[in-house]
Parts: sequence; structure tokens; C-alpha cells
Amino acid sequence: MSEIENKTENDSTESAGECTAGDTKDDKGLGLGVIFFIVAFVACFLSGTLLFPKLLYSKKEQPFNFDHALHVGETGDCETCHSFREDGSFTGIPKLATCLDCHAEEPLGETEDEVVFVEEYVLEEKEIPWYVYSRQPDCVFFSHAAHTEENGMDCVTCHGHIGDSTSLRPYEENRITGYSRDIWGKNIFGIKKNSWDRMKMDDCAKCHKKETGHQGYCFQCHK
Amino acid sequence: MKVDRRSFLGLGIGAAAGIAVSPVGMKLTDDSAIWTQNWPWTPVPVDGEVTYESSVCSLCPGSCGISVRKIDDRPVKIEGLAQHPVNDGGVCLHGIAGLQYLYDPARVKTPLKKNGDKFEEISWDDAIELVAGKLADLRKNGSPEKLACIADKEQGSVSGLFQRLLKTVGSPNFYTMPSLESYLEVTAAALHGEGMTIGFDLENSDFVLSFGAGIIEGWGSPVSCFKANASRKERHAKLYQIESRLSNTAANADKWIPIKPGTEADLALGICAVLLKYNLFDSMVASEFRGGLNKFAIMLQKEYTPSKTAEITGVKASDIEKIATLFAKAKMPVAVFGKGRGDGAQSLKELAAVHTLNCLVGNINKKGGAFVRQKSEYLEFPDVSMDSIADAGFAKNKTGRYVNQLIEKVNKSSKPAVDVLFVYNANPCYSLHDPKSVKQAVGKIPFVVSFSSFLDETAKEADIILPSHTFLERLEDVPSCAGLAKSVVGLTEPVIDPVFDTRHAGDAVLLIAKALEGSVAESFEWETYDECLESVAGGIWDSLSEDGYAIVSEGAPFGSASVNISFLADNPATVQARGDDKLTLIPIDNMRLISAGTAASPFAVKTVSDKVLKGQDIVVEINPLTGKGLKDRGFATLTTPTGTARVMVNFNEGMMPGVIGMVEGLGHTFDNKYVSNKGINVNDLIGPVIESGSGLDAAFGIKAKISKA
Amino acid sequence: MKQENNNAHKFGMVIDLDKCTGCGSCMVSCMSENNVPFKEDESNKKDSITWMSVYKLTNGKSFPDTEIAYLPRPCQHCGGKGDHGHSPCVSVCPAVATDYGYDTGIVSQIYTRCFGCRYCMGACPYHARYFNWWDPKWPEGMENYLSPNVSPRMRGVVEKCSFCYHRYQAARDVAYYEGRDDIEEHEYQTACTTACPSGAIVFGDLNNPAHKIHQIVKPDPHPDPRNKHVIGKSRNPKVFRLLERLGTNPKVYYLSEREWVRKQGDSYLDGEWDKIKNHHGTSSHG
Repeated sequence: MSEIENKTENDSTESAGECTAGDTKDDKGLGLGVIFFIVAFVACFLSGTLLFPKLLYSKKEQPFNFDHALHVGETGDCETCHSFREDGSFTGIPKLATCLDCHAEEPLGETEDEVVFVEEYVLEEKEIPWYVYSRQPDCVFFSHAAHTEENGMDCVTCHGHIGDSTSLRPYEENRITGYSRDIWGKNIFGIKKNSWDRMKMDDCAKCHKKETGHQGYCFQCHK
Repeated sequence: MKVDRRSFLGLGIGAAAGIAVSPVGMKLTDDSAIWTQNWPWTPVPVDGEVTYESSVCSLCPGSCGISVRKIDDRPVKIEGLAQHPVNDGGVCLHGIAGLQYLYDPARVKTPLKKNGDKFEEISWDDAIELVAGKLADLRKNGSPEKLACIADKEQGSVSGLFQRLLKTVGSPNFYTMPSLESYLEVTAAALHGEGMTIGFDLENSDFVLSFGAGIIEGWGSPVSCFKANASRKERHAKLYQIESRLSNTAANADKWIPIKPGTEADLALGICAVLLKYNLFDSMVASEFRGGLNKFAIMLQKEYTPSKTAEITGVKASDIEKIATLFAKAKMPVAVFGKGRGDGAQSLKELAAVHTLNCLVGNINKKGGAFVRQKSEYLEFPDVSMDSIADAGFAKNKTGRYVNQLIEKVNKSSKPAVDVLFVYNANPCYSLHDPKSVKQAVGKIPFVVSFSSFLDETAKEADIILPSHTFLERLEDVPSCAGLAKSVVGLTEPVIDPVFDTRHAGDAVLLIAKALEGSVAESFEWETYDECLESVAGGIWDSLSEDGYAIVSEGAPFGSASVNISFLADNPATVQARGDDKLTLIPIDNMRLISAGTAASPFAVKTVSDKVLKGQDIVVEINPLTGKGLKDRGFATLTTPTGTARVMVNFNEGMMPGVIGMVEGLGHTFDNKYVSNKGINVNDLIGPVIESGSGLDAAFGIKAKISKA
Repeated sequence: MKQENNNAHKFGMVIDLDKCTGCGSCMVSCMSENNVPFKEDESNKKDSITWMSVYKLTNGKSFPDTEIAYLPRPCQHCGGKGDHGHSPCVSVCPAVATDYGYDTGIVSQIYTRCFGCRYCMGACPYHARYFNWWDPKWPEGMENYLSPNVSPRMRGVVEKCSFCYHRYQAARDVAYYEGRDDIEEHEYQTACTTACPSGAIVFGDLNNPAHKIHQIVKPDPHPDPRNKHVIGKSRNPKVFRLLERLGTNPKVYYLSEREWVRKQGDSYLDGEWDKIKNHHGTSSHG
């Protein structure tokens, strides 16, 4: 015990001695510490803000590109493809059969994506393994009918202007949770500017509170 | 400029502050919280479109209509089918759990061939060739009758195909496992003549006198019986249950009449005696009886006076007279036989004695009574073509009358009595009495072919397994053979593509027949089983395929049935339990287990009470008076002339003193840990007792002793 | 939502114990509907998860006067003292993993929120809650029959009967899609109710006089004069609730003609039963 104490004492005197050697450079030492602080702060903050999301999310390309704007132009609305079934359940991403309602006869369009679509999926009779940006985890029950049919909400409120997009952005999956990045939102700070920027429980609860006067009971949205 | 300790401090604090202000901490906290609740190994069922497909459950002879809920192509739930003529919406636990059989760990996934003690995979083509080769050899040697087949039932097109194959090969040796339907036919044959069967109009009867029939224990068509029982209150109908144990049926009945096990026939005759003595019978009807009504009456007044009957059965003489009076005075009485589920051992004396009650009060073919009708022959197979070998073989006598005699013959003879055995939808090495001797017999047969979907006790003894689709993967006609008032044929339809490399047993038979060529192949003109069914079901196919069922007959049959009571007039001896010990061990039918060949599903076994099964120990029920010296929930050794077992004891005031009850349906040795190696098979402790005259195994129980282990 | 607040449902169940045969269909239907797992040995009933459990009752008399009845026990969905929604389990949950739905009267259980402290299990007088001591495991391929309507649970959380809430959600989806304000009685029935081959279970809205359950139970809207915490006591003399005097106000009622069965709904001191057996809410008391 005492040996260690002695040793530390010696150490400290040594370093103190060094310090006193440059008496006037006291401030400079502090200044260097500040510089180091700032450098480290900025570096870590930037990497936490810019690099961290790149590490946290894996990027996956969709099977092929899909032009929402073009399709909305042709069909005039979202519901033609993203429809309800007769039992009020929502089809979500359409099945191949829905695509074939229009694409049955021959390729419509001459893009490379159309070729992939026809050759790899239509001819093979394989469902297209789309990544779903807005997929909620298994514990969530969400009724589209309650929102759009019963309460007249539009798709944009939650899904944004995806209907105007001409290309599909890469799907980003959280490596820890397996969730789509859209649930937390693009902004890594969780800052939300538009109603569709984030899809966490608090966002649902906030809107429910505003619209219905109550944030809702657990079972309303959980299963 | 020097990098000193402060610089490092600055660096560290700066880094920490930078990270703290960045979203890393907040985000990681949130993500790890989510992670802990979403383990990657917890399955996430895929969502999709919900559809419903109708079919028929064929796990038991009940043949209930089912509605299978599917998510896209995946069946996820089985429910009862509303408006189905058998069950109208309700469904039993085994049917609901049906999906578990699809993915049962004990399923046979591909044809198997035994090599030494192990099974090896084999292709369908090779397997068929091998089986056909064995049959061709039999025919070549001029002994085609050495092919035998044990199936679950005689009715239906698949059974029909097996019978047809045997016939065209040249063998009369087609056997069925004992079932309620087989007993109904035996009873009808003894009293009314061959080719008849009996149905009970439970849903309309106002007085059901049940001789141990487990109306709510799985007797007959379970859901239909449940419904008839549940509506009793509204219909002001009564149920009297005669049974040595307070079963659920007895508990639910208006009156429970405890009786010494195995004396039901005597009680029924005692009641007959009262009916005859006090002129409580329908004399118009009885005057038509053949076989000596007077002789019968005289015998009864001598042997079955109330006091004598009381002594035999343990039921008070006054009660016997009271029951007789109530039964006779009821508007629509019906006496029901078939202890437990009605598919266990039964004596013809008991079956006939109980049914004679129906005949005496004149409720045959009347609403609320017993319906005696022709066996429904709804299938029209074309004529077979048989060559001289087949003709000669088929003309020979059957090796035994019933499956029990077949087993006995095989065991007794030094030369193989059977060379090739087919087993379809049956598990004799589990569900017959004394399975050890059954296994021994099966082991003696040189070539055993199993068509089982599961590697069950009998399939394990087979030399080759041609695995069948489960009922959820196949098309098949399912006649309800369960003492129902109406005769209904349902259509089982595939609700999912076969999960494994299995085939329809009907198709397997067609392939075997075609491989045999010649007159055998000629008799099987269909390409596939599905095509065969459509053609042989001719008359009812439209109804089957459109509605999913066809009602062959409904309501009381027209006219009365002739009655011949010569069998009873001779007063055949009542079958006694084997052994000399004081106590009697009886099997208990429990709705949550299956006593026939199939094991109950994991879900069903899960619901079994810990007073029936505890860990791997079977629990026997015993009256505390009988169990003196034993401890409730303690262990005991149970010994019968056939075997010994370690059991757990459960004191049950609902047991008649002197009787030990052990549940049926446990002790399976499948390769499915959720349902196997639990308890013991009660059949291991009970040996068959063949009733003279009828040839039926009538061992209702066995004498036993129990002592503290 | 707006309508629901003004016109809240109160879903409940009445089970006819004279019709119940103890067959177990309700238990299996529940397990199959709600992705309840199973394990090798389920004979230790303390760790055997059965949202719906069927108890065997006996009258305690000796042979041959013994009688048996069966009592199916789902979650009782207690309204708590005074029926204010303070169910025993909800009150003690430190994680808000279980709450009382004032719009339906259904007590929820959210597995991803639960951290497994099991306070709720201690608080529940009906043993209706079960803990997942192990991760669920299905034999190879058997996951294929799992339903997407109910999340499979993970090790370390509590689960219980939800009155098949997903069926309520599905019924509402149909109603929304068809532009109806509310669902019909037959549209929302629990899996045990539809499975029962004896028709012993009746499910519906206790607040809706048109529903069969309301007609059988005839719930008394006023507090019981003998115990102000008890609301909704049945005015049908054959109907009772389990441990009714605790004031947990369950929404599961039982019906039996047999007095000994009704008496088993609670524990009574000597002579106590005879005093209260004919007491049926405010109106019958004048």
C-alpha cells in the first residue's frame, strides 16, 4: 500500500517538476487541452451524427426500380394498387397478380426495370421481394381502414409524397432492431418536420390525442 | 508545444461530450430497448389475405365439417363449419389441433424400407415395385390368400380400393379395427339381419338410457353428441347414465347409476324382465319377434328377476324397476350401448341386450328412437375382373373372423399364416389389447406394409412404409360411421399442398395394382385416386363436390325392422374379467385423449389434467375406500395377469369401490416428445377375452391388484 | 373513437356450467388462435400456459353422491373496484404493459412492453396470467401455422387472454370498410365461444340490452348495497361471478342451476352462504 502511494507521489512530483520547468507555458498547456477538447468534441459529434447512421443502418437496394409517379399518373390514385380487401384488411404492397392486371399482355414500357420485372418475376411467377419502408414491427396492429376509410385521412399524412417519386431509394435497415429507418425517421436526432417524417409510437399517440382527445389504449395498436 | 496529461483529458472529455451531444446515446438506448423485446429467434408470422376453405375432419369417425382459415397459402386455424349436417359449427379439440398433425415430428416424410433395425429412404417407384413384387410372388406360389389387410373401417372409397386389391389378388383376408360402427353392424346382424346398421336419434329422444356410452366422452360423432346433450335442458329430455365411474357423461346426466363393471348386459336384461313382467312393452311390436319371445320371457323371469339382477349388478332392485318404468313411459326413449367411446372391447350379449330394450318398447325407426337401416352403399365400383388364381384364393376361408383371431392365428401357427400384411389407418400394435402379442404376430409376418402418415407403433414394425397424406392434404369421401341418426358422407379436401413426399393411399393402391398387371391392373382403370373417387361416387359426386357433403339418409327410416331374439333367448354367458384378484381395472375414455391409433396432438395432451398424467407417470383413479394403505398422489404398483406398471394414485370419490380406472390413449412411443413416452398404454395391462359365440374381444377390464410402490 | 367514448362497449362472457362438459375445445381453440406454444412436459400446471383453463369442481361428497362440474376460466377482464378500470393487475404494473380499455372493458397485455416482474400475476386473484419461463419453440415446420394476428411471445414476459381482441379489430375493419359505425354481435366472438361444441359460452356486450349476454346476465348498473365496490352484479339468481365480493368486477359470469356449483364461486364462512345466496343486486333487494 505505502509503496504504491510512494510511487504515485514520486510520479506526481516528477510531472509537477516538468510542469514547473515551463512556468509561463501554463496557459498554453490549457489551451492545448481546449484544442484537443474541441477537436475531439467535433470529431466525435460529427462521427456520431454522420458516420454513426452509416454504421447503424445497412443499405439494401430494392429488386428493381419502381416509378411511383408514372403509375399514379396512369391509375390516378394510390388505391388501385394499394387496395383494401373485402374484409377491410389492407393489401399493402401489391402482389404480382395485381401488377399483372395491367402488365398481363406485354411489357408496358422499355426500361431495364421492366425487363427485370418480366424476366425474373412475371415469367418465373415469383413474388417481388420488395423491402417495405414503412413496415412496423410484429407487435403493432395498424388498421388502414380506421384511418383512411373511417376518418378520411390521406396517404400523404403518414407516407409522405412517395407517390411523386420516380425512383426507389435504398432501403435502410437498423442493424440492431431490424426496423426500417423510416420508423425512426431519416433525421438521426429524431427531429420531425413533417407528419410523415417519423412513425414511432409517440407520433401515433400524439396524433390520436389531437384528433380523438385520447392517446388510445394499448390494444388499439398492439397485438 | 507539448502533449501533456491535460491534452489527453481534453481529448477524452471532448470525445465524451461530442458523443453525448450527438444522437448516438439516445439512439442506441432506444434501439437496444427494442432489441431486447424482438429476439431474432421469436418467429414473426407473415401476414396476407385471409381465406376460408371447407373440408371434413377425419381424425375420428365423427366426420365433422371444418373450416380452415388460411393466410395466403398457409392454413393457420381449424374451426367448425357452420350448417354442416353433422356438427353445425362446433368442433372438438382434436379437430381444432389438426394442423399440428401436418408438421408432426413423427411424420414419415418419404417412403421407408427397413434394413435390419433401421429404416432407409427409398423412392416411391422402388417401393411400389417391391410391394408389387411380393404380391406377384404370392400369386405365383398359388397362395394369394396369404395377403391380409387391416384397415380402420370398411366404408369409404379408400377402404374400398384396398378390398378391391385384395379381391383381385385373391385374398378374403380384409379386417377392420373394432369401431362403434362395426359393433352397430354386429348388433344389427344379431337382431335384425345382415347388412344393417343402427343410428340413435339422440337429438330428439326425451329419455336416453345410456349403458356407459360416453355421450360427452367422444362416443359416436362427438360434436353431434355434445350438441344433443347440450340441448337436453331446453327439450326437457332426460339422460340416465349407467356406469361404474362418475364420468363426465355421468356427471352431466340427470341421474348416474353406478354399476359393477361388466354387468351392463345383465342390467339390460333385468330391465327387459321388468318390462315383460309388468307388460310395459309394445305388445304389437313384440308379437312379431322371431326366435322365441316366450322362451326369452321365461328365461328372464327365471334368471333376471330384479333381486337377482340387483345382486349381479349392484343396482338396487327398486331402481331397476324405476328405470324400467321411466323408460317404458317416456314418449321417445332410446337405450344406447357402446361403453366409453364405443370403439373398445364390447360383448355382443351387452350390445344385443341393450338394443332389445329399444325393440321391446317399440321405438325402432321412430323419432327419438333407434334407427335400423341398410348400411349405406353410396359407392358404385365397377365389377372386378379376377383370374383363376384370384378366384381360388378369394374363395378360401378368412384366416380369422375378426382382427383378434387373425393375430391369434398368426401367433399360434408355426408356418406363416400371413405372408404380406397391409396396414392402413390403423395402429393395432397400440390399440388392440395386449399389444405385445400383436407386435409379436406382426413381427412373424415376413412382409408388412404400412400406409401410415406417422411412424407409429405399427409402422415401426413394418418392413416398408408408403406414407399417406394427412387428412388436410388429401381428397377423400368420409362416411360418418358413428351411430348418427342420419347418414352423411363428407368430402375431405386438400387445404394445403403435401408438406412431405407422401402420396394418397388410394394412389398407392392404384400404383401397386398397375404394377401387378394382368387382371389386377384391369380392375383399376383409373389414372388417379381423385378420378376414381369422382367415378365411383357417381350418384352423390355432384352433391359432394358442391356442398362438401351428401346426406344419404335422414330422419326415421320407413317401416319397422324385423327382430330375432334367439341369440339372447339362449341366455349366453356374461363375459367375465380375466384373473382372480379382487379389484377390476377398467379403461377410461377421456375426451382430451385419443384411444384409437392416432396419438393426441401436443395441444390436446397439454390440456390433460395433472390428475391423469403427471410428468411421465400415469395417474389411476381409485375410490379412497379401495385405496386403503395407498396415499393420494403417491406411487403404487398395479398388477394384472397381463402386466405390471408403476402408477400414481388419485383418490376419486367418483369411482365405484373395487374399481381402478386408467385412462386410454397414453403411453405412445412415437418419435414426438410432446405426446410420447407419457404414462403407459392401458392395453398393455389388459389381455383379450373372446366372447364365445360372437368371437368379439369383450374384455371390458381385467382383475387387478394394487399395492404401495 | 369519438363514438366509442360516448357509447363504450363492455365485452363480457357468460358460461353455462351445466352445459360445459369439460371437453377442452375452448382451451385448444384459444391456443391455436393465439399462437400459444407448448413444451415437452405440460403436466406442471403452474408453468403450463393456458389462457383459457378448465377447472374441475367437485361437491366434495363421497361415492355415490359425488358430483362434478367444469369451470372454464379465461381472463376475467376485471373492471376493478367500482368498475373504474383499476383492475388488480393494471394497478400494479410498473411498465404500463397492461391497461384497461375504457372503450371495450378489455384488459390488455403488451408483450414488448412487459419486462417480466410478474407483479400482475401476484395481483390477479384468478391465476389468469402466465409467465414465459422459456422461449417458445415449435417443432421444425410448425411455425407455419402461426397466425399473424397475435404476436408470438418471447421468454421473460407475461401473457393472458385478450378476449381475442384481434377479432374485434378485424370486425371493426369490416365495419369501417363497409361504412358502418359499429359491429354486430355475431361479428365479434372469441375463439373459445365459437369452438364450444355445447354452446356453453355466450359472448357479447354487457352494455347492449339487445345482446344475448345482457339478457342472460341482466347486470345491475347500481352498486351492490352490501358492497359499494361491486357493480354489475347479475340479477339472474342462477348467475354468479368468481370471488365477486372482492369487488374486482369481472366481466366473466357463470351460470348454473346447481347451488353447490354457485357456492364454489367464492369461499364462505359457516352459514354465510345461506344469508347471501338469494341476494341479487339492488333491484331484487327493493
